[in-house]
Amino acid sequence: MSTRAPLSAIALVSPVQAMIGAIIFLPALYVFWLSLNQSSFGQQASFVGLANYAKVLADPYFWKALLNTVIVVAVVVHVELLIGLAMALFFASGVPFRPLLLAIVLAPYAVSEVSAVVMWRFLFEPDVGMMSRLLASIGLPPIEWAVNPNHGLAMVSLLSIWLHLPFSFIILYAARLSIPSDLYEAAAIDGASAWTSFRRVTLPLLMPALLIAALFRYIFAFRLFSEVWLMTGGGPARSTEVLAVYLYLEAFRYNAFGPAAATGWLLVLASLLLALFYLRRLYREMFARA
Amino acid sequence: MPKLLRHLLKLVGVLAVVAWSLVPIGLIAMSSFKSDRDIFSTTGAFSFAPTLVNYQALWSRWGDFFFGLWNSFLVTVGATILAVGVSLLAGFAYSRFASRGLQASAFFLIFIRLIPPIVITLPLFPVVNWLGLNDTHFILILLYATFFVSLGTVVMRTFIDQIPRELDEAAMMDGASQMQIIARVILPMAAQGMLAVSVFVIVYAWNEFLFAFIFTTTKAKTAPLVISEMIGAVEGVEWGVLFAASTVQLVPVLAFVILMQKHLVAGLTAGAVKG
Repeated sequence: MSTRAPLSAIALVSPVQAMIGAIIFLPALYVFWLSLNQSSFGQQASFVGLANYAKVLADPYFWKALLNTVIVVAVVVHVELLIGLAMALFFASGVPFRPLLLAIVLAPYAVSEVSAVVMWRFLFEPDVGMMSRLLASIGLPPIEWAVNPNHGLAMVSLLSIWLHLPFSFIILYAARLSIPSDLYEAAAIDGASAWTSFRRVTLPLLMPALLIAALFRYIFAFRLFSEVWLMTGGGPARSTEVLAVYLYLEAFRYNAFGPAAATGWLLVLASLLLALFYLRRLYREMFARA
Repeated sequence: MPKLLRHLLKLVGVLAVVAWSLVPIGLIAMSSFKSDRDIFSTTGAFSFAPTLVNYQALWSRWGDFFFGLWNSFLVTVGATILAVGVSLLAGFAYSRFASRGLQASAFFLIFIRLIPPIVITLPLFPVVNWLGLNDTHFILILLYATFFVSLGTVVMRTFIDQIPRELDEAAMMDGASQMQIIARVILPMAAQGMLAVSVFVIVYAWNEFLFAFIFTTTKAKTAPLVISEMIGAVEGVEWGVLFAASTVQLVPVLAFVILMQKHLVAGLTAGAVKG
C-alpha cells in the first residue's frame, strides 16, 4: 500500500473536506477563541481567559440544563434501545405481513420534529387529548406538560423515543438477522431454553451493534434542541432547558456570546468524551491498515 | 407454550407496534379532515363528516405555508444534489486509494460528526450576515449538505467497495480518465448507494428546524418553520389548520420513505457499521 495518495485522490476528497473544514471545523475552533473573550454583536472582543467558563459554571441555570440533559438522554437512549431490541427480536421471530409492518415501524423516521410536537401535544392536550382522556378514564392524573417541568421533560423524552426508535430498531434488527441460524439450532440441540439462548447467543452477538447504536444515540440525543424548544420553550421559568436551549438563549436572547461559546465548547468536550472509546478503536483500525 | 396463546401474543405484539407508530400520525391526518367541533368530540374518533374547511383556511390564511413548502423543496433538492455529488467523489477516492494522509482525513470526517450543530451557529451567524447570505436558500443548502457529507462519504465508500476494481482497471486500459471512470463505470453501479444517501439528506433537509430557525426569516423560510409559527401563533390553538399543514408537510416525505424503505435500511446499516 502506498503512503502517498495520487493528486487525483486528493482532488476528489477536497470538496467534502473543504465543506466540513470551512463550515464545521474552523467555526468550532473559532468558538473556542470566542469562549476566551468577552464579546457581543458589533462589539470588539476582549480577552478574558477562562472567565466565561467560570461564569457558566457558576450559573444555576446551566447546572439545571445539564441535569435535565443528562436525565433526558439517559432515559431516551436506554428506553429506546430496550424497545428497539424487543422489537428486533419480535420481528426476527417471524411476524405476519413483514414488509408492511416494517414500513409502519419506519414511518416516524419521516416525521419532522415540528409535526411530532403537534401530534404529541394534541394527544396529551389537557381535557380533550386522546391520551389525557385515556389517563382520566383509568383514574390517573393528566400530564400537565406546560405547567409541571417533570411532565414537560417526560413529554420531550417520549417524543424523542418515538422519533428515533426506527434508527435503533434498524441497527439492531439488521444485526440480529446476521446471526446465523445454526447457532440457535445448536443451542436447541444442547437443550438450551429460550432465555439461555438469548443470554448466550443473541446478546453477546448483538453487543457490537448495541454499543454502536447507543453511541450514536448518546451523541445525537445530547444535541436535543427542537423538541424542547417547540414543546416547552425551556419553561416554565427556565425549568426544562437542556444544554442546547441554554446555549441558544445565552447567545441569541441575552447576547452573551462568551458564555454561550463556553457552553458550546463544554458540549463539544462532552461529545468527545462520550465517543472517546469509539474513536480510539476506529483510529487503531484505520492506522493498522495503512 | 400452547400454539393458540403464542398466536395471541404475536397478535398483541403486532397491534402494539402498529398503534405506537401510526396512532400519532393517523390521528392528525384524520383530524385534519374534521371540523373544529368534531376534533374535540368525545363520541368516538371515527364518527365525523369529512370536510376540507381546514385546508381551505390553510390556503386562504396561511399563504406563507405554501411558500415555505416551495422553499423546503428547493433547499431539499439543492442539498441532496450537492451532498450526493461530493460524497460520490470522496467515497470513490476512499474506496480506491489508500495512504496515511487519506486515512487521517477519513478519521477527520468521522470525528467532525461529534460537533453539535448548535455550536457552530454562534460564529456562523455574524459571518453569514456579513456575507449577506442570511435568509437565502444557498446557506441552508450548504449547511444541510455539509452535515451529511460525512455519513454520505462513508456510505458511498461501502457501496463502491463492492464494485470490482477490475472494471475501473479495464476502463483505464481503454484510456478513460478518472472522472470518466466515475461517470461511466462507478455512477451506474453505485446508484443504490446514492439513493441511500439521498434518502438521509432528503428527510433531513425537508424536516430540519434548528438551522432554518436561526438562519432564515422571510425569503427562505421553510415549511417546518412556518408550522412552528402556527404552533406559537395559536395559543387558543387553531388545531384544524395546524393538522392540515402538518399533514401536507408530512405526506410527501412519508410516501418517499416508505417507497425507499430498502435503501434507507441499507444506508443505515452501511453507515452505522462502518462509520
